[in-house]
Amino acid sequence: MATVAHDAGHAHHPPKLIYQPALPLNNGKLFMWLFLSTEIMFFAALIGTYIVIRFGAVVWPTTHAVHLSEPIGAFNTFVLICSSVTIVLCFESARVNQPAAAKLWMALTLALGCVFLGVKGYEYQAKFSHNIYPSYPRSAIYERPDLYYGSAVRQRVQELMLKYAKLPPEQLMESEGKPTEEGRRLALLNRLKDQAGTADAQALVNLAAEIYPLPPAGSHEHVHGGLNEDEAWLRLPIVIPGGNMWASTYFLLTGFHAIHVLVGLIFFAIMLFTWKLDATCHHGVENIGLYWHFVDLVWIFLFPLLYLF
Amino acid sequence: MSETPHSGPYAASGLPRVADPDGNGVHGEHGHDEAMHGGSHGLAKYVYVFLALCLLTCCSFLTYSDFWPYHDRPAVGRTFMMIVSCTKALLVILFFMHLKYEAQWKWVLTVPASVMSLFLLLALVPDIGMRLRKYSEERKEHLGTRSDAQRIESASAALHEHESHDAAPAHAH
Repeated sequence: MATVAHDAGHAHHPPKLIYQPALPLNNGKLFMWLFLSTEIMFFAALIGTYIVIRFGAVVWPTTHAVHLSEPIGAFNTFVLICSSVTIVLCFESARVNQPAAAKLWMALTLALGCVFLGVKGYEYQAKFSHNIYPSYPRSAIYERPDLYYGSAVRQRVQELMLKYAKLPPEQLMESEGKPTEEGRRLALLNRLKDQAGTADAQALVNLAAEIYPLPPAGSHEHVHGGLNEDEAWLRLPIVIPGGNMWASTYFLLTGFHAIHVLVGLIFFAIMLFTWKLDATCHHGVENIGLYWHFVDLVWIFLFPLLYLF
Repeated sequence: MSETPHSGPYAASGLPRVADPDGNGVHGEHGHDEAMHGGSHGLAKYVYVFLALCLLTCCSFLTYSDFWPYHDRPAVGRTFMMIVSCTKALLVILFFMHLKYEAQWKWVLTVPASVMSLFLLLALVPDIGMRLRKYSEERKEHLGTRSDAQRIESASAALHEHESHDAAPAHAH
């Protein structure tokens, strides 16, 4: 935007143009806010879709049925809030030209962000270890304990049996008549094969509960055990009503959030090791701070929606 | 009327009066910075906001604990959590992102994006939110229901009870 400034007495001189920005912001901050505007719409779309899907669903798994831990989620919320404080203190230190303090706050923010990602990785591992994937290559989660589920269990059992069926009898049975580990596994597979091949609805429900037990709705107790946990080598298909949609939305929301955290950490590391973090670059620190607060803001909504609803 | 860099509509509106051609180092921001931070008082403000955010997170977590009296009415807990989350978001936006101290431009960049987000959410309702109304009977047969979950929960509880019963004599020895 240009403003024309001229004196009445010198009207015949060419007008003197003075640059005035359309918005009272420096270019970096304007760019960051425009970027955040698009990010608002991006995450609003993701969170909005989650809410609409969640409340339009016939059934939705309880948090403990999918091995989500509320205290861990609350801890991660606390970590992100702390990192928001440290980055704003980093900005304040840079603004008053205290680069040493600014570097300390930046390093703390970087460390807290790494803690957040570490905890998130631990949470993901808890899902993967229970065969909860959004896709693997198709999801191992079945919606109902029906014949299709029984067939899938039977197919997996038969795959596993191929390995043990070829073993010589002396590897399956010890000299005292006791089964070896391989023999015990083969016996278990034979039992599961028979149980999965039945058309009895209750037997299939029992099979689903044995492989992957579900805690009662509203219970705060975590259910441990189940064949997939006790015998991790099995990795059998599981039944979680509503579990496929849950896995898709959970991994999509937290995955995109984690990518944003990772991008923030990369910028923190670059600034920490290559910038002076004095008063000359406090605008840059402010901009990355705005981004980081937005990442915190998204988690503020994700925590109750994913862990407590 | 002549306009100089130190007078005119910008001065009256509190907007910056002199800017360099790159738009960097807008001089008017310095005074704004002072109002925004205010030295040690500003740092205390961040500590108060941090404490408020921690307290509000505890309030959200309260709905999960046994102290929450409305476990039988999930809508109460959900409404409470959303109010708490909006309050937390507001604190972060106003104080950590400094929007409380920014000029009127903040509305230009935030309100349209927020309104578009709301429209986006509403646009999802017919296709996504009401999708189950359009399911074929064949598709509904493969749909997990609450009764499926209850049957597995009951079987899990019976299995757990059976295992505990089997394990009890072993513990007694």
